[in-house]
Formats: sequence, C-alpha cells, structure tokens
Amino acid sequence: MATRTVTFEIKRQAGPDAPAVWESFELEWRPGMNVVSAMMEIAANPVTADGKPTTPIVYDSNCLEEICGSCAMKINGRARMACSALVDNLEQPIRVEPLTKFPLVRDLQVDRSVLFENLMRVKAWVPVDGTYDLGSGPRVYPQEQEANYPLSNCISCTCCMEVCPQFNEATDFVGAATIAQVKLFNNHPTGKVFKEDRLRALAGDGGIQECGYAQNCVEACPKQIPLTNAISDVGRDVLTQKVKDWLRG
Amino acid sequence: MATVQSSAVPTVRRGVEPLRAGQGTSFIWHKLHSLLGIVPIGAFLLEHLLSNFEALKGPVAYGEQVRFLNSLPLVRVLEWVFIFLPILYHGIYGVYIWLRGKSNIVYYPWAGNWMYLSQRYTGIVAFAYIIQHVLRQRFMGIMLPEHPGAAFWKVQHELANPWMVAVYVIAMICVCWHFAYGVWLFAAKWGITPGEVARRRFAYVCAVLGVLLAAMGIASIWAFTGPKYQNAPADVRLSTLVAPAHSGAAFHSIGSQLMI
Ligand code: SF4
Ligand code: SF4
Ligand code: FES
Repeated sequence: MATRTVTFEIKRQAGPDAPAVWESFELEWRPGMNVVSAMMEIAANPVTADGKPTTPIVYDSNCLEEICGSCAMKINGRARMACSALVDNLEQPIRVEPLTKFPLVRDLQVDRSVLFENLMRVKAWVPVDGTYDLGSGPRVYPQEQEANYPLSNCISCTCCMEVCPQFNEATDFVGAATIAQVKLFNNHPTGKVFKEDRLRALAGDGGIQECGYAQNCVEACPKQIPLTNAISDVGRDVLTQKVKDWLRG
Repeated sequence: MATVQSSAVPTVRRGVEPLRAGQGTSFIWHKLHSLLGIVPIGAFLLEHLLSNFEALKGPVAYGEQVRFLNSLPLVRVLEWVFIFLPILYHGIYGVYIWLRGKSNIVYYPWAGNWMYLSQRYTGIVAFAYIIQHVLRQRFMGIMLPEHPGAAFWKVQHELANPWMVAVYVIAMICVCWHFAYGVWLFAAKWGITPGEVARRRFAYVCAVLGVLLAAMGIASIWAFTGPKYQNAPADVRLSTLVAPAHSGAAFHSIGSQLMI
C-alpha cells in the first residue's frame, strides 16, 4: 500500500524573545486526522521533513472535541480550533501559526488570560455565594432558555478576538466574547443583579464602542454564537444605561 | 530587553490590555462621532443633494435655492455649528478610529470586513473632497452668500475641468456609500436592528438609499456639465430680489442674459 502523506509547516518559537522559524513535517495520512492529532504524532517522533531531529511542539489542547476552547491557532491563515480542523478538509501544506494578538509563550501556545480578566471586569457570573441555603433560583422560562442557550455555548477560545480588526494594542478593545457574556448574564434572573455594573463597565475605555461592526467575530466563532446580535443588543443597553446615569446625575 | 531581530520576529509584547471597566471618556467621543454622522451631517447631506437637484431646473432655480438657504436666520452660525464643526469632528475622529483599527482583509476576506474597510476609504475620500469643496466653493472665488445668482456659474466653472468632474463623481459615490453604510452601521450598533433578519432587510433599504442619493447627485452634476445650460451667465438675476409681480420681467431679463 502506497503511503499517502500530509505536509505541515509549523511556525515555531522557543520563547517570547526567541526568533521565529518555520519547520516542515511530513506525516503518514490517517483517516480522520486533525491538526491536534498530527501534533501528537510529531511529539511521538519529533523529526522534521528533512530528517532533522527537533523538539515536540508546544500547544494547548484538552478536550479534542471543540468544547474546551484551548486549541485555537491560525491554520492556513485563519484562526480556528485545531482539534476540529480535519486534515482532509485543509489545503496542503497545512500552515500552522500561533494566534497573533496574544503574548506568545512558546511555539503555538499563547497567553489568552486577557479574556478571563475581561470576564471578571464585567462580572460575568451569577452571584449565588453565601453562607446559607438560598433556596431554589427563580424560574427561567423555556423561551428565555432558548434565547440564552446559544450564548452559553462560548468556549472562551478567543477566535472572535483574534479575527477582530479592532482587537489590538491600540484600542485595547474588550472583544465580542465578553460582550456576549454580558448579554447572557444580564438575561439571567439572578445574574441581572449586576446588570447596571456590567453595562457601565462596558462603556469604559476599550469597551463596546470600539467595535467597528466588521462582523468577523461571528464568522469565525466555532460555536456560531450570535455575536453581532449581542453587540447590537448590549450596545443599546449600554447607551441607555449611560443616558440614564447622566440624567440622574 | 528584547533586541531587534529579524522582522518576522515579534518582540516582547504586553498584549492587549483588559477592559478599563467604567473608566475613561472614549465612549462619549465614539457615540458623538457616530451620532453626528446621522444628524446633523447626514441630514445636511440630504438637504444638500435635494438643493443641488434644483440645478436641473437651471441657473435661476439653483440661484433661488442658494439665496433661500442663505436667507435662513443665523445662517452663518448654523453653518458652523451644524455643518463645518460636526464634519471636522467626524472626519478627524474618524481618521483616529481608522488609525487604531488593524484591517485583516487579507486573511479574512468576508463581506462585513470589506465593508469595514470601505467605510474607512470612502470616509477619507469624502473628507478630503469636502475640505477642498468647502474651501473652493464657500470660501474662495465669488462669495455666494452675497451673490447667490452666481451659484450656477461658479459650479459650472469648477466643473469645466474634466478632472474636477471625475473628482466630483467619485466623491459623490464615496459620500453616498459612506452615508448609506453609515446609516446601516448606526442602526446595528445602536441596537435598532439587533436581529440578523432586520439587519439584512435594512441593508436593502440602505443600499437603495445610497444608490438613489448617488444617482441624484450625479444627475445634478450633469445639470452643470450637460448641454442644456451651457455657458450660464456669471450672475443671474433672481426673481425674488424683485417684487413678485415683476417676476415675469425678471425672468425675461434672465432669458436675454442667457443668450449673451
Ligand atoms: S463586529 Fe467586528 S469589530 Fe465588532 S467585535 Fe466583531 S469582529 Fe470586532
Ligand atoms: S464567542 Fe465564540 S469565538 Fe469568541 S471566545 Fe466564545 S466561542 Fe470562541
Ligand atoms: S482541544 Fe478542546 S477545543 Fe480543541
């Protein structure tokens, strides 16, 4: 049986300060292989296409079923999840690079903690901590559940931020994911208690106003989260909140 | 610290900072920029294109329109407060917004991303055009507020240069594109069209609006360059400058002037 092979070109960098180099790898084709499984094979036999031994590639991944959000990288120029990037659907050579908008740690691993920091700054949680039993929560009607479920699918992969022209070091824009989470938690009957805080937070520098509505986020989101709808709804809510605040003095 | 290595190497970066929750004033400046684009700038654009349309009725009607606008109370204050200053702010802040964005159309050639880019290019063309247009037509040459009858002639003179015609046509398309997409963006970002379907429907509305305005604008340019009103007199007498009863006589005298 003639062996079919797949070629990868991977951008590597030993550390934040180290020079970037491209390395090629040639792997035996297997049915259903994806970019993460290819990386695992390289780790098992870290030799480049021209036969030079190298180090295994550093990257983030966990669930391998597009649900943990850790394996986002640029594949053939586009930010996407590596575990759901099937080799059979990709043009070869498959070029893999780290996300470009986050501080690089090593190889394909970047530091995406800015998203978690942003989620904290908008209080993207339902406050139920306490020292006694609060009883059952308020009822959420099925209609509300349906509206909110898509928003709750966010896997914090940061693809929407990577592809956003406004998410960069000049604007320090918060990004679409956090805005969508504000909508989710503001819709929650208990989460609502922080609604005004969240809206005011999003009017800060780097807030929702920086969105240029290029709509890349919604194109790129692997979970098809209705991000542009969320930006529109939250945009209106933030504005109304600000106007109310000004009028109240 | 990091030394400069080959250009392919990112130097140490701080990364994008987290949200400055509730801090700063950029929200109001952005919203002001957005709002001014609709009122007064968009509203003025509509007025201007409608007024220009009068040119199709000839030098007298056009002069009348210019005279009427200049007869508005506090017109000099109005033009600064509702036209020049808002456009200056919208233009300068718009350039600032552009400079801080980082287009990535090469990697993500999607429709919305193209429109994002087009809004920036049409904006800069419109701004550059408007600056020269205001300087040359409002602040240089014969002063139209004092001589509204010269309006047609002045524009025709400007458009005698075919390069200027090209500039006007291109700028007209850019202005109308920027405005039409701007209205769409405004509705999307201010939460007026929060749904996919609403935004799609409104996109058709805005597209029709943009095409219509551009067509009207180009038709007005045609009024100045086409064969109908060639060699308009340098100053037509306007009927409203004389008593209404004599308007026929005034028109007659214009007719004779036109024949010169
Ligand atoms: S709509 Fe565009 S500018 Fe706004 S968050 Fe999405 S990608 Fe960024
Ligand atoms: S909104 Fe979508 S693209 Fe953005 S972090 Fe969540 S799952 Fe990823
Ligand atoms: S490994 Fe979890 S999303 Fe890819």
